[in-house]
Amino acid sequence: MTTVVRQLRDFAVGAALCVLIASAAFVGVRNRELADHQRALADRAASEIADGRTLPDVHAVIVGAATPSKKRSYLKTRQIKDAGVWRALTATAPGATADDKLFYDAATRFDRAPELDAAFTALLSDGSGRALAVRAAKDGLAMALTAPAHPAPYPFLVFIGVLGLGAAFAAAGALVGGRAVRVGTTAGIAALAIPCFLWNSWIAGSLIVLIGLGLALAQSTQLTDRFAAGMRSHKTALGFLAPAAISMLVLVLAPFVIGLVLGFYDHHHGTWSFVGLHNFGEILSGGGRALDDPLNFWFIFGVTVLWTLANVAFHVTIGVALALVLSRTWLRGKGVWRMLFIVPWAVPNYITALIWKGMFTGEYGAINSVLHVFGLDGVSWFSSWATAFSANVITNTWLGFPFMMVVALGALESIPKELYEAASVDGASGWQRFRHITLPHLRPALGPAITLGSIWTFNMFNVIFLVSGGQPGGSTNTLVVDAYRWAFERGERYGMAAAYGTIIFLILLLWTVFGSRIVRSKGSES
Amino acid sequence: MKHAPRAHLQILTYVGLVILCFAVLYPVMLVCKKAFEPGTQFALSASPIPSSFTLDHFSHLFTERGANGELLFLRHAINSIVVALLTTVVGVSLSCTAAYALSRFKFPGRKTGLTMFLVVQMFPATLLLLPLYVILNKLGLLNSVAGLVLVYSTTAIPFCVWTLKGYFDSLPRELEEAARIDGASPWMIFRKIILPLSRPALAVTALFSFMTAWNEFIMASTFMTNQTKYTLPVLIQSSVTEFSADWGLFAAGAVITSIPVMVAFYVLQKYLVGGLTAGAVKG
Repeated sequence: MTTVVRQLRDFAVGAALCVLIASAAFVGVRNRELADHQRALADRAASEIADGRTLPDVHAVIVGAATPSKKRSYLKTRQIKDAGVWRALTATAPGATADDKLFYDAATRFDRAPELDAAFTALLSDGSGRALAVRAAKDGLAMALTAPAHPAPYPFLVFIGVLGLGAAFAAAGALVGGRAVRVGTTAGIAALAIPCFLWNSWIAGSLIVLIGLGLALAQSTQLTDRFAAGMRSHKTALGFLAPAAISMLVLVLAPFVIGLVLGFYDHHHGTWSFVGLHNFGEILSGGGRALDDPLNFWFIFGVTVLWTLANVAFHVTIGVALALVLSRTWLRGKGVWRMLFIVPWAVPNYITALIWKGMFTGEYGAINSVLHVFGLDGVSWFSSWATAFSANVITNTWLGFPFMMVVALGALESIPKELYEAASVDGASGWQRFRHITLPHLRPALGPAITLGSIWTFNMFNVIFLVSGGQPGGSTNTLVVDAYRWAFERGERYGMAAAYGTIIFLILLLWTVFGSRIVRSKGSES
Repeated sequence: MKHAPRAHLQILTYVGLVILCFAVLYPVMLVCKKAFEPGTQFALSASPIPSSFTLDHFSHLFTERGANGELLFLRHAINSIVVALLTTVVGVSLSCTAAYALSRFKFPGRKTGLTMFLVVQMFPATLLLLPLYVILNKLGLLNSVAGLVLVYSTTAIPFCVWTLKGYFDSLPRELEEAARIDGASPWMIFRKIILPLSRPALAVTALFSFMTAWNEFIMASTFMTNQTKYTLPVLIQSSVTEFSADWGLFAAGAVITSIPVMVAFYVLQKYLVGGLTAGAVKG
């Protein structure tokens, strides 16, 4: 009996995973079929209306060319031939329908994109499942909008059926015993692949069969039994861990994996298409742009590296210098000085960024006024790369040095005073004491702080986005800011943005693995 | 270290510190000045002292109404508080048991789990911004408090796990052993001994999560596009766009939203540094 229970336990775990895969395959196939069908229907209807015929259930119209309005020439008006009658294409015209705005926008898009001059067909991104086709006709643009379509319902009965079948296979195998146990497992799991093959989803189907084989292999090496025993013996720990672990899987791992996958797709006007490594190729080759073009990945990468190096260098130098001064034994009011110097850290950083933006902006901005006080000329900060980049670095240095100062102060406090006394007795100079006592004691604390600080700076978004905003001409963008712009400011190129995200992730991974090692090995040398 | 330097060197150091301090505090002084000075321009003089005094910016901030006649500042403040509070509750409640497990139990994969929580905390939310946006868009959770809380939890949970684990590590184990001998279950020990002992640490962690959510700008501005759903950072940023900049309104808003978090920051700063560097050293 226990073999049957064990067998069903293994089957249940494997089947849960496989049902997830099969469901994803089903949803993917269903959506693709529906989209293909709707697009084909819209296409056909558009060519029919161009010849003056209509199809049932499709809203097909002819939209005239844009003509300047009589009163105001910058306003363009269009005529629409709906149900065989011409009328004005405006929201207030008699006979106006809810689809008019879609037609108007599509006509504008058609006019703006000459490379698509023959025709285009797209699924609307509002989730209604409608498709819109546009093609040139002799008296204007022929357009067809399909009716909303609902995707096929989730096939609960199919899944329940194959699950029952699979469980029966697995149990039968266990009852026979011996090698049949493993055969039963494989057959049981493979039963779940049947619907996938019926939906022509070969990848999902093969994946499920592989899981079945893998499970059988795991059973034969007693891996499943050992795993179950481990789960039982660490029941308490796993129970305590579960809430955070599960939420991290759902909230971080799932979006992370989706982000990786999206990098292989192109998102254009609401439709996703698989493009393989194209996005990565375009990014890493610079997309055919010159090396000094602000959109070239290597240019942005250079700016990002420079940005990180400059900031970390300033943070560490200023932070450590201040910490050295503030740790003098004769200095009074240490607590007060410390409190005043960490104000920049306490201010929310988006506010800091906006304040500095305000101070740099304008011929008579605060910074330029200060320059005037010292008899210097004002600078137009955001019109050249060097000054705009400096403005960003100044802002970020201001908000970042207190962290390094506090870390250094903590490390300095932990240095035993006797060391300095012994060094003075031996006649060491001030520099020698700093070089051979202070610095080696600072390193273990500053090493991790520098790794952490470099990652923060590399990923700093608010300062660049809010202070220079990439000006002039996007040349001060760093990688994270540029990834954001691909997604939200350059026509929803989500695929490009996701590919950028993957590349940024790999850079950070390399840096945390090797960079922290460099910092650490330097620390251990001395 | 043995001898204090000569008097004139000391004085020079103090003078240097005063000048540096002034330079560091200058931007903050300018904002405070702008909050009480009439006009929408940021600064027309380098002086940090207002030329004339007004409370107009504050009354403007508090009385501005949106398209539906609601008080915008009040609405956005409520949004901010609700989002930050929910993030804190989700973060602390989901992570406290995991932090205890990572601190006390030995199980396979413990080290990997710890590293994962640390890595997730270091890798910024901006990387997850796009996939989260695509997912929330599919789920219809853009412009909703629930969506923003989910997004903030991605950073709040690992942060809470690490901070609380650090604290649990410092608690003596004798109490738990005594309780175990008396027959208490692990859950009883956690609920009756560990949690009451950890109240200060829980409060500190909660306050940090609250501050982080309260100060977050880019996620909120990407996910909340409907004006009634804005949080305070988005409101403050939107008062100084390229097209219309009212720096007086900005300064008043900045002062009001920063003061509570700055106070909290000063109360908590010593815990923050300890937690951050401890996490980095152990990782």
